Amino acid sequence: MAALYGEVSWFCCGNSWGPCGTVGHGACGTCNSGSRQHAWPNTSDACLAITRPDRCGESLLRRGCGHVHTTTNRCNGKAIATSIADCGPQTDLFCGERTCCGSVCGSNRVIDLTPSAYSAIGSLSTGLLPAMVT
Amino acid sequence: MDRRKLLTSAVLGGAAGIVGATALGSLSPEDVFAAEGATAKINPGDPDPNFIEGRITGITDTVLFVTSSDGSLHSIRVTGGTSIWKLNPTTFDEVKVGDGLYARGLRLADGTLAADSLWVNIVNLNAHVDSIGRGSLNLDHHGQRVVAHVENGRSAAVYNNTPAVSDMSMLEAGKHVKVIGAWHPDTNEITISTVYAAV
Repeated sequence: MAALYGEVSWFCCGNSWGPCGTVGHGACGTCNSGSRQHAWPNTSDACLAITRPDRCGESLLRRGCGHVHTTTNRCNGKAIATSIADCGPQTDLFCGERTCCGSVCGSNRVIDLTPSAYSAIGSLSTGLLPAMVT
Repeated sequence: MDRRKLLTSAVLGGAAGIVGATALGSLSPEDVFAAEGATAKINPGDPDPNFIEGRITGITDTVLFVTSSDGSLHSIRVTGGTSIWKLNPTTFDEVKVGDGLYARGLRLADGTLAADSLWVNIVNLNAHVDSIGRGSLNLDHHGQRVVAHVENGRSAAVYNNTPAVSDMSMLEAGKHVKVIGAWHPDTNEITISTVYAAV
């Protein structure tokens, strides 16, 4: 897969506290905040009908549960390999959104990591980071 | 040297004066061996042993006792090198029993996590704005109502590509937002750190 540039965020799943307590284990049924996993916008036709990255000009390959992607935080070069456990993010809700650190920017939300995975490459308090996905 | 290397070095007794062994207690060779093992490769999809999610059930000196949502019990050691977030960067005395947290660090031989970072009560919600009140947003998050409070001087908004601003006036009912905030334990309320909105 050619490198994909965009924004990475994080989401909670599985057993959790607070508002995250109701979100469940995701579309694959395996998602947990403490595991090295991610959500991908094109896991199925039904998933793609919700996330609609095409409305933002993003053409993402179909990848199923368990497929491994590597996400690199372009602010610091840290990378992590994770497997698909859910459908998301809902890319079309924020078409054109851009996140930068200095002159390095990423546009459109293309991947969501679990808190465990995101915190390995950046601080959870950042919420969004420019990223490269392979 | 980044924060993690610094903390790891401190735990293993090699840091020069930033976080000394006295802050962490003495460490046996088994501690060192386990800490080195904790840096071993973690397969995609696997639970991360250097990460803990849960709620704080007790605090003694510099150790947090945490019960994860799956029922497992953990202890987390906080050092002078631990970064702590609770709506903003803060200090250990702001961490309370009952708070939820995510923690990242280095797992020691006795199972304790030497914390590199703590994010206390942090939430990241993708939600629908049902209505906007005075000083708060009423959100629909997976069918659950969440009241998101604006705190002057702390809460910020990011509209598309703009830098964060304190002006919340461009938020609209009926639109989607993403909110980084701090949960008020045992309620359906949060305080907004940053709200992201497309306008």
